[in-house]
Amino acid sequence: MLFGRKKKNPIKIADKKVEKWMYTTCGYCSTGCSIEVGIDAQNKAVATRGVASADVNRGKLCIKGIFETDIFEASGRGKEPLIRESIYDDYREVEWDKALDKAGAEIQRIQEKYGRDSFAIVSTGQLLTEEFYTLGKLSRGVIGTNNYDGNTTLCMASAVSGYKRSFGSDGAPGCYEDFENTNCLIAFGSNLPEQHPIIYWRMREAREKRRFPLIVVDPRVTMFAQFADMHLPITPGTDVVLLNSLMHVILAEGLEDREYINKYTNGIEDVEACVKDYDPVSAAKICGIDEDTIRTVARLYGKAGAAMSIWTMGINQSTHGSDGVVGINNLNLITGNIGKPGGTSLSITGQCNAMGTREWSSCSGLPGYRYLENPQDREDVGKFWGVDPEFFPKKRGLTETDIFPAIETGQIKGLWLIATNPMTSMPNTARIRKTLEKLECLIVQDSYRDVETTEYAHIFFPGAVWAEKEGVFTNTERRVNIVRKVTEPYANSKSDLWIISEMAKRFAQGKNVVFPDTPSKVFDEMRELSRGRMLDISGMSHDKLEKQRGLQWPCRDGEIDADGNTVGDQRLYMDGKFQHADGKAKLIPLPFIDNNEVPDEEYPFWLNSGRLVEHFHTRTKTGKVGNCNKYSPTPFMEMNPDAASELGVAHMSYVRVVSKRGDAVVLVQLTQRVPHNMVFIPFHFHDCVNRLTLGLLDPHSRQPAFKQNAVRIEHVDQQEAATMNVELRKF
Amino acid sequence: MFQVRDDEPKYAFLSDPDVREKNVHGKFIELVEKSSTLHGQSLYINNDAGVGDNPNRYKQHGFHFTADNCIACHACEAACSEKNDNPAHLAFRSVGYVEGGTYPAYQRMNISMACNHCDNPVCLKGCPTRAYTKFAEYGAVLQDPDICFGCGYCTWVCPYNAPQLDPVKGQVSKCNMCVDRLEAGLKPACVSACLGGALEFGVIENTPENRDQAKLNIPGFPTTDITHPNIRFQQKRSLPREMNRPDSMPLKYHRDDAQGKYVPVVDEAKGKPQRQWNLRKLLGSHENAHIIFTLCAQTVIGAFMLLMFGPGLGLSAVVTVKSEAFLPLFATLFVVLAVGMFKLNMHLGKPMRFYRGFNNWRLSPVSREIAGVSLFFGGMVGYGFFTTLINYELITLPFIQWLATASALAAILGGVVGFYYMYKLYRIPARPYWNHWQTGSSFVATALMLGSALILLVGGLVSGAQFMANMLPQLAWVVFAGIALEGIGLVAHARDLKQQGGEGAASHFEQRTRFGNAYVLRNVLLLLNLLLVAVLAAGLFTQPATVAALSIVAVLSILVMAIISRALFYVLVIPTTMPGAFFWRNRAFEEHARKTGLANMPQVGVVPDSH
Repeated sequence: MLFGRKKKNPIKIADKKVEKWMYTTCGYCSTGCSIEVGIDAQNKAVATRGVASADVNRGKLCIKGIFETDIFEASGRGKEPLIRESIYDDYREVEWDKALDKAGAEIQRIQEKYGRDSFAIVSTGQLLTEEFYTLGKLSRGVIGTNNYDGNTTLCMASAVSGYKRSFGSDGAPGCYEDFENTNCLIAFGSNLPEQHPIIYWRMREAREKRRFPLIVVDPRVTMFAQFADMHLPITPGTDVVLLNSLMHVILAEGLEDREYINKYTNGIEDVEACVKDYDPVSAAKICGIDEDTIRTVARLYGKAGAAMSIWTMGINQSTHGSDGVVGINNLNLITGNIGKPGGTSLSITGQCNAMGTREWSSCSGLPGYRYLENPQDREDVGKFWGVDPEFFPKKRGLTETDIFPAIETGQIKGLWLIATNPMTSMPNTARIRKTLEKLECLIVQDSYRDVETTEYAHIFFPGAVWAEKEGVFTNTERRVNIVRKVTEPYANSKSDLWIISEMAKRFAQGKNVVFPDTPSKVFDEMRELSRGRMLDISGMSHDKLEKQRGLQWPCRDGEIDADGNTVGDQRLYMDGKFQHADGKAKLIPLPFIDNNEVPDEEYPFWLNSGRLVEHFHTRTKTGKVGNCNKYSPTPFMEMNPDAASELGVAHMSYVRVVSKRGDAVVLVQLTQRVPHNMVFIPFHFHDCVNRLTLGLLDPHSRQPAFKQNAVRIEHVDQQEAATMNVELRKF
Repeated sequence: MFQVRDDEPKYAFLSDPDVREKNVHGKFIELVEKSSTLHGQSLYINNDAGVGDNPNRYKQHGFHFTADNCIACHACEAACSEKNDNPAHLAFRSVGYVEGGTYPAYQRMNISMACNHCDNPVCLKGCPTRAYTKFAEYGAVLQDPDICFGCGYCTWVCPYNAPQLDPVKGQVSKCNMCVDRLEAGLKPACVSACLGGALEFGVIENTPENRDQAKLNIPGFPTTDITHPNIRFQQKRSLPREMNRPDSMPLKYHRDDAQGKYVPVVDEAKGKPQRQWNLRKLLGSHENAHIIFTLCAQTVIGAFMLLMFGPGLGLSAVVTVKSEAFLPLFATLFVVLAVGMFKLNMHLGKPMRFYRGFNNWRLSPVSREIAGVSLFFGGMVGYGFFTTLINYELITLPFIQWLATASALAAILGGVVGFYYMYKLYRIPARPYWNHWQTGSSFVATALMLGSALILLVGGLVSGAQFMANMLPQLAWVVFAGIALEGIGLVAHARDLKQQGGEGAASHFEQRTRFGNAYVLRNVLLLLNLLLVAVLAAGLFTQPATVAALSIVAVLSILVMAIISRALFYVLVIPTTMPGAFFWRNRAFEEHARKTGLANMPQVGVVPDSH
């Protein structure tokens, strides 16, 4: 010591006494980070660290991943199955068998009385792929309802739809390594540092080594927008106009890749005709980006050689979501930026396994990117499962966002919700409450007893969470990675795979169909179903995934590198061969129709919503992890100080926000991050922003437009507002 | 030793190929000579006797923060709290921010800050228990919570809000520089976790790879001349002329072109335009123990000194009261000071460790204050006791008188030392509102006003109104002098705060707004008291009953004034800490969470009030 105590005590530094580190994959967003969980002598998960040799995160973790083990024993976890006769009774704890029997009987009663499709199943992007696959088998092959969808309709449906329309199939064509090869990056409605901090880190590292232009399109001045070389503060809901105008300039100035267009795409003439109307002068008036900027960006992108676009909810959550994705794909197709290093359309995905549900859950069709509409697919899957192909519907049924209106009007009488929380996540909360009230039977399967939907449920199944079970996730860059079980399920909760398989036994047909009892056996089935397809995982196994810290599909059996390691393709469509019948990509014209709810005299502010880095979705996880939750423990709203001073609204005071749907009370944070006519409210909080949202549906993807709504701001009694705010916060 | 993984990524390893000889302040970076006995010793981290093989083990290390890059993703804070197993309400590292400009030319600059392991660790010097050590290894300033008794003085003196007082455990803990990782050649956990490319760590003055600045300051960072913190910055992006804080501190940062840096100025937009009371906040704070202790101690020391030196100064009233009411007077002094000391001790996080308060008498004004006041207390009790023995002729041995005199001398010495360091300990550069001579003038004023008032009251109670009327003219002038001194001090204080700007001016702004009504009331009372006491001193009233009644009114009024004054002293201080965020490290939100009950959910990260 230099000075201080002469007689030193030993230095004490927290020691969590980790006995062993167990490999698993993070269960928050779909970046797909590999985590090691430290287990102590009492078999308790006490520590986390990023896996250094994993290519995705290279030893790093974000705040949520760092505290992920805190979710195992968080407050509000479901302990025992619960049932009740009606939603005004109290729940009773029952044995699993009894709860499953009741659920099975209720599903069959409703189906017999009102028809097979009168019972709907809405799942999630949170389960393991093996569980999705099994749920698909149960829903499509045993229960036989065509009203089966996932909550991915709220986040990724537009990306899926756009990919399918352009390329003939879902599946992100690029990868994170593209950052290291690109010469220009445009981020549309993506706040990477906040939403996907690890992907941001990969991007930033690449950009520190080799500086390339970064353009961020976002109506808010996010941290990402600040760090961009050019920030385009676009008018909400007008991305298609900007994209059309960028293409206008590229085509008008001959910056397109004519060879690529001719060789690999159809439809250039229609696009050329359409974008004629979107010269920068006209487009600027609609999208709010000046004509010079549009030209500069278009030239930069057109001349880059390798240019890539990423996007998130700013594009997807709009009535032009699918069109926006198609527009981005168009832009990349005409510049020849698909399937090459540094040139891609990369949808940055939300949930840990949104990709897995898209690939294997049969929500929008049949497993492995197969379609109900395709007789051969029905035949193949029917045979493989031992189900009469005629049992399958010949056309996809309702999406999540159409299932709720069908409950509202009585076509659907029963609902099974799995790991999703529409009470907080769906637009227009009041309407969702009214809808859920009408159900004859609502089954809620969730890790949390305090998920708000249990207010309207008849049956509650406590599910195991994240690494309390085993299976795989697919991340944004098509990398399949393994979640190892690091701890036993909490109390009497069970893995979703077990619950789904047990449910199958309650149905006559379920006894004829095989439901493997371990995740790896389920994975074997999927592997067989994938052989020879674009979505080929035949080269993978659970153990290989752990050894190689995840593998990207397509990953064909027998393809290995010089070291004998299995390899997958980094990119799709490298050969210019697409999944449409003619093998070409489609260029689709995108005329813009302005159907956004726009501010008017009565509701003068745009309402925008979005994510905070410390929270995940509806806060059922992070709302209980103090070291995450403390950074935003209560709802707030960003508001421009100039607008606030006109209304006499002060920083850190409560206001009432009113839309045509309802109202919400929030704490005001004054900041110039938002424009004078816009407010921003994070979407994580229950009974908050979605009391206000309209959520008009995209015609292609049926995804709601969460980010384009009009509201007004009113004063409230501060004391009353504060009291109410506390009452509304159970966590 | 800390386990390094076989595949530990490169970015996690320390890399200081070249090292400078001296830091910018001219201090050697090599902390001890090669021959020093401090070389080669184990840090005994969790009793591990191993010695790290880090080649730069004896060089001062520090953080490097590229403010241009920080994205406020909280990964550093999370990695720190995960490693140190900290609950939600406690954090060794925090990210705050400042923002400015107009949409869309808006900029936010985030600041991630932990302990800066300063060259001049004021925490170490201030800590009365010697819980702090500045190690020759890495220059780390480490604090041992097992020694700490939870007084929180280090949290007052640190300009960077590094030491964290945990109200649940009643002790301070802080950033330990991850010395366990350093021993193994790894960067601290926060640095290894950084996702924005903002946080770096190494031997001080080294500019990390791909960075080209290592400057001392960025907007929002408190002045570095107090402690010479071991942190360097890069901040090249041009920022708007004015940067605001999202928290409730009435401060913003304004670019001063002459100085070439941003200086803190009052943010009037934050305060309520009208004056407010906020009485609950004013009188219900954690600092109540200090209000009671300082008032009690100053009153008693003041009264005792008057009793000792009054006769010599011609205050005949004191002679009379000493002979007429000695025992009640000393009993009262004993009770008042005992109450004050008890309150002070009980406010400690760990009151049973009170005896550690003397440990750092070489460096800490707190230790010296405690030592002085304790000596005074002992001396005063001894003097009172022995004098009573003499007065009642209970024991008439000659050395009793000697003991009484020795006790009095001890009390005088202790009183002077205790009083001086009681003042000195508030002269904290990181707390500009206190760091003014007015703190001293106010303490002396209190001693004069309340000390003489106490003598007057006790005398009156024991010997009646006539007696009081006789004593009054002399003592009233002492009270008058006290009030006048307080007034002069306050005028100078307000003037200087406004002139110096920054945190001091912000305190003064809060004084006129958030606590404006109490401030005005105190000032009005001061003038009225001055007038009333002058009238009494001038002897305009002679009727004993009237004089007694007016005296009691005056004493009560002075007491109210003194309490408000002292409460303002504690509640108004604004430390020179870095800015917070909208929820985290925002005083207004913490208060709101406590008031509304949000704080009752532990995951809100605010500890509810225990009283």
